[in-house]
Amino acid sequence: MFGHIVAFKQFRPSQGIWGSKWAGLDNFKFFFSSDDWIHVTVNTLFLNSMFIFFTLGIALILAIFLNEIRYALYKRLAQSVIFLPYFVSWLVVSFMTYAVFNTSDGILNKLLNAMGEGSYNWYGNANLWPYILTALFVWKMSGYVTIIFFSAITAISSEYYESATLDGAGRFQQILHITLPLLRPTLVVLLLLQIGRIFYGDFGMIYGIIGDNPILIPKTDVIDTYSFRALRSLGNFSMAGSVVLYQAVMGLITILFFNWIARKIDRESSLF
Amino acid sequence: MKKRFAAILCVFLMTTVLAACAGGKSEISQSSASSTQAASEKLDPVTLKILMWGNRPADFDKVVAEAERRMAGTLNVKLDVVFVPVSDIMQKIQMTLASGEEADLIWDSPLASMYSNIASGYYEPLDDLLKKYGQNILATRPPEMFEGNKVNGKTYGIPLGDSQYFGYTYLIRQDIRNKLGIAPIKTYDELVKFAYAVKAKEPGLAPILPSIGFLSEASFRSRFDQETQIRRTQAMADITLYYKNNDGKVYNLLDEMEPKVWDWIKNARKMYQDGIIHPDVLAIKDYEGEFSGGKAAIIPVNDFGVKNNIEQAVMKNVPGGKVEAVTFFDKTPKKNITNFSQWNFMSVPITSKHKERAIQFLNWTQQKENYDLLAYGIQGKNWEAVGDDKYKPLDSNYSWFPYLWIWNPTFERLNASQSEEVIELNKFTRDANNFEKDVLTGFQFDPQPVLNEMTKFKTIEDKYYPTIFNGVLDPDTAWADFKKEGGPSLKKIQQEMQKQIDAFLHE
Repeated sequence: MFGHIVAFKQFRPSQGIWGSKWAGLDNFKFFFSSDDWIHVTVNTLFLNSMFIFFTLGIALILAIFLNEIRYALYKRLAQSVIFLPYFVSWLVVSFMTYAVFNTSDGILNKLLNAMGEGSYNWYGNANLWPYILTALFVWKMSGYVTIIFFSAITAISSEYYESATLDGAGRFQQILHITLPLLRPTLVVLLLLQIGRIFYGDFGMIYGIIGDNPILIPKTDVIDTYSFRALRSLGNFSMAGSVVLYQAVMGLITILFFNWIARKIDRESSLF
Repeated sequence: MKKRFAAILCVFLMTTVLAACAGGKSEISQSSASSTQAASEKLDPVTLKILMWGNRPADFDKVVAEAERRMAGTLNVKLDVVFVPVSDIMQKIQMTLASGEEADLIWDSPLASMYSNIASGYYEPLDDLLKKYGQNILATRPPEMFEGNKVNGKTYGIPLGDSQYFGYTYLIRQDIRNKLGIAPIKTYDELVKFAYAVKAKEPGLAPILPSIGFLSEASFRSRFDQETQIRRTQAMADITLYYKNNDGKVYNLLDEMEPKVWDWIKNARKMYQDGIIHPDVLAIKDYEGEFSGGKAAIIPVNDFGVKNNIEQAVMKNVPGGKVEAVTFFDKTPKKNITNFSQWNFMSVPITSKHKERAIQFLNWTQQKENYDLLAYGIQGKNWEAVGDDKYKPLDSNYSWFPYLWIWNPTFERLNASQSEEVIELNKFTRDANNFEKDVLTGFQFDPQPVLNEMTKFKTIEDKYYPTIFNGVLDPDTAWADFKKEGGPSLKKIQQEMQKQIDAFLHE
């Protein structure tokens, strides 16, 4: 917590945190003095909302599907295959992305050519990339969330299902009226945890895949990549600290707000 | 600046592949002709702790043992060399200095944290020590190398370098050029003709693959602008701010477009539209890797000559693939301007207990036999001499790293495997007299007063510079946007810089 004080200092490692000169709000100027901070904040929120919504949504569906598989060996195999992308690093993903989307011999363009279409410059259209990034994020991360949901489903007592079957409920009705309601607390906790970090862009991912490509920057630049590009050559701790402080404060406000909503709706499932 | 650091680092990491080597017993007699005072009298034994980065070469201990043997009885210095991984070196230097940890010699660079360490008073001014104990250090470098790297009029680090000017080169695929029946390339126009021929006759091969930042197509051409000498300033890694001729003025492209630069940009735009410049130029992160993989025919790179690793990779990846270096550097003496900046220094921390011995030791390394030992390893095992000024590595157990502690333009040998032309060029750039001296030699820019403008401009620049200078966007509209967004910040930086320059010239 105390580290945040760097944001208000003209920090020099040699002088230490306390010895450095007080700079007041000077370090915040570079970030807030142009409109860029609005763009990157909007980008960060938009991308992260997409990531959270689709990852949780698809993971939920996958977990329910997994649960419906009766053949144990296939179930385990499917589980592993879904989980696997989680272990691929973003750097590797970025090379895979380039292999798919590059103009001259990308897989996608080769496919288009084979169908008689011309090549398309995928790296030249910024509007596509928020969706491509979302697809990549979901592909990589949903397996992980699926496992959490799946274990929550396994924990549901089988008595519920047995009595439902006796009452004549079909598979779909069981999912709708037993599985989903009982998964709600898990869903809300996961949602709140991710919303707490909604102001933090995934630097490893976005910088790994987009890099310094100026064409894509307007639509994909998040707070973290923006401040990285602004500060990388100057190595100024204090300016970086001011951005982190902004993210932390905004994150805190958001999570308090959403927790308050969660508590309004259902006291049990809120975080605190 | 980080870019330049990365580029230089890359160059260095790659050169290490050239490698010197290990083993055999060499019987080089101790030099007696040295002028050092140390040699004449016997000194108390001391151990000098030296901090640098990189990996400890396999044969390093053998080389150090030989060096200590040679110094025994006279200098009596033992060496404790600490190699820090390159990713940690900046932190390690700052921690060592801040905590006053024992160290006698430290590698530092303006691209790392040298200036802020000097500003914090961590380094000993060396002028007096050099006068007293460093005759060889002074004699092996032209005085301009010291003058161009002083801070506030004092020498805080011994400049390490073997060149007074940064060379630049296009690497091209020689096998393709021969296949297309094109004569060796001598001018930029011939290079473009070659690129168009590649486009017409070699489908699947991108003719030109520039990189981003300064290595963008239109801005790279400034390196071969012999007439007006458009060149980068200390403030920016590219030519948005630039010097021209030798008039001590900072020019601003966003303020007033230089007609020549505009031609370069127009030309880049045409080549991008014609499919001469790689369509994914902005998306490719490892452009040298693409070239090595045989996907492009021409790339711009730092330094003269073909880097060993690229040559090997092309040979491996493309059957019959061969790389050659094409440069349009004009070897007329005094034609090119330089400010003699160097990027590697050996500094003595103020807390060292053996400052004099540290300089005496470095002075000892600046004798030919000793330099050969520490730079290339043990003769006959790690390397062999080719003439007086070239060498051939024999194994890879003593990688090449003189730039971290002893590098000088007098004793540095060139790798004999390079082409005659490249060796010529490298020899040419060693001699300070071949260059016109920049009036701003020794000027350092302090970004502190315009830090906010600098950070703001950098994010804007990243959006436009590589796009415009590689011809990806229509320059007419994109330049207007760039000007609108970045113009005010750049103007402030330019004004501050001019202010500092005027003060510097006034002194």
